[in-house]
Amino acid sequence: MSVIDSLKKDIHYIESLNSCMNCGVCTAICPAAEFYNYDPRIIADTVQRQDEESLEALLKSDTIWYCGECMSCKTRCPRGNTPGGIIMALRRASQEQGWFTESEKGRQQFALKRVLGTNILNYGYCITPDIVKPEMHPEQGLVWEWIYEHRDDVYERTHANYRHSGAGTLRKVDDDSLNELRQIFEVTGGSEFMEKIETYSLRKAEENGLDPESYFLQTYMANNGTHGEEKSNR
Amino acid sequence: MSVIIIGAGPAGCEAAYRLARSGESVELIEKEAEIGGNLNNWYQLFPDRKQAADLKAKLRKNIEHPQIHLHLKSKPVAFSRQGDGTIQLTLDDGALITGKALLVASGFRTFDAHRKEEYGYGIYENVITSVELENAFINHQINTSTGHAPKRIGLIHCVGSRDEKICRLYCSKLCCVTAVKQAIELREMLPEAEILCFYMDMRMFGPGYEEMYREAQEKYNIKFVRGRLSEASEDREKRLIIKVEDTLVGKPLKMTLDLMVLMVGMEPAEGNDQLISMLNLQTAPNGFIQVSDPHSGTNCTHQKGIFVTGCSSSPMNLTDTLTDARSAAVTISEYLNS
Ligand code: SF4
Ligand code: SF4
Ligand code: SF4
Repeated sequence: MSVIDSLKKDIHYIESLNSCMNCGVCTAICPAAEFYNYDPRIIADTVQRQDEESLEALLKSDTIWYCGECMSCKTRCPRGNTPGGIIMALRRASQEQGWFTESEKGRQQFALKRVLGTNILNYGYCITPDIVKPEMHPEQGLVWEWIYEHRDDVYERTHANYRHSGAGTLRKVDDDSLNELRQIFEVTGGSEFMEKIETYSLRKAEENGLDPESYFLQTYMANNGTHGEEKSNR
Repeated sequence: MSVIIIGAGPAGCEAAYRLARSGESVELIEKEAEIGGNLNNWYQLFPDRKQAADLKAKLRKNIEHPQIHLHLKSKPVAFSRQGDGTIQLTLDDGALITGKALLVASGFRTFDAHRKEEYGYGIYENVITSVELENAFINHQINTSTGHAPKRIGLIHCVGSRDEKICRLYCSKLCCVTAVKQAIELREMLPEAEILCFYMDMRMFGPGYEEMYREAQEKYNIKFVRGRLSEASEDREKRLIIKVEDTLVGKPLKMTLDLMVLMVGMEPAEGNDQLISMLNLQTAPNGFIQVSDPHSGTNCTHQKGIFVTGCSSSPMNLTDTLTDARSAAVTISEYLNS
């Protein structure tokens, strides 16, 4: 199936693109465009031109991974488009095809899947304090390092029920709920989808001669710091 | 028996004069205390920079014709037909007017810029509309709210037009050329200022318009940025910080302006919907009055004996409005003689 045909089946695409008149209102308000070489107007225009080659290049690029899905663009577009929604459809297509492994920002899908995807199934949380290890998150700084080391005491003083059963914030999610959650992932195709990310990523790791752990660390840490400057959006 | 015309703006006056000259008697109804309609808000006209007041004086003189009876400060409140099809219109002062034909020349109103809240009209002091700028030209004075001559001025195209968010999908046609004209007038008053037009497409369709655009660039040093305004905010000095994308460069742009002018588009006249339902007319998709055929029936409505002219049926510039009024006069004469 061509990229455009697969997009046309995606509800996010259907709801997000009528026609674009290249006015730039979305780009002017887009927080991602302010910092990265990213332009939601060009995303909308590239997609509406339906050129398969450009679409494939887009799905393999860093570009589609800069959007924060804040949906500010939805509130302003004079044609009623939502570039952020188009991005959701493009990301999905890139994930389905395995093309996300072709770009640095796309490869981070693996890190996300292994971290957030695993956490939700194991703990019922995408993030809990245990998981935010200071050595993996230098950006959190010294204060976090201190909190992390004293986390039991700190969370007790905030009246959280950290890691214990029963009610309260940060409580341990009980096994019945966790099983229910896992089932939801099974039934809705969430698990299968995450498996795809895993498979494509490990294939890429092998291609690069890396063991899974080194590849994971690479997707976690690598940052060429150019924010897409070296590549054109189109 | 006469022809009744609702609205004594340029279209109504021109049609009244042409009909009177061809021997019809005309009842010309105007809700305001003077004729001219939106023309009263203009200083100079494009493309020749004629004084709007001169054109109005000419229209005024024309309708002094003995066959034209002008009813100022009058509004139609009821409509009926006699057995032979004669039209009866009751005015708000109780007067009953009869006619063989009725011409709707109720015109347009300019878009209420408050509705585009993110542009800050009515919130920030140095955001004005193109209509207010015309008034400033009439008074020969351009100042910011803090009393300074503006150093950088931005003219924002398409405010109230081509915008699904405010249910105005159409192009208002005259605001591009108005922006170019006003930019040139601003340059003449403020030789040092930086003047920028923020546009999506330059719709310079009329004779002399494209040439004026070129002159604005070459002779008057007006800058044109292809990007639509996303939002504006205000700094402590009451200047405006605007966000647009310079789409030809492909980069978002933040810029400070001392004065921002919104090129407001055209909307159906106040009372348009009531008039449509009173006269049993049809509403066009753009909210104006539906004509019976877009080529051969541009002055006809779906009601026999009821005609339409000027901006009652769609946005038009002044040149086309006057031409359309003459066309309506011919259409009505033919109808009366058939
Ligand atoms: S949703 Fe994405 S494209 Fe839209 S404004 Fe937010 S970051 Fe930009
Ligand atoms: S705001 Fe809408 S019409 Fe304008 S460039 Fe963005 S997607 Fe296209
Ligand atoms: S004439 Fe120009 S400014 Fe006015 S609505 Fe059309 S494109 Fe926009």
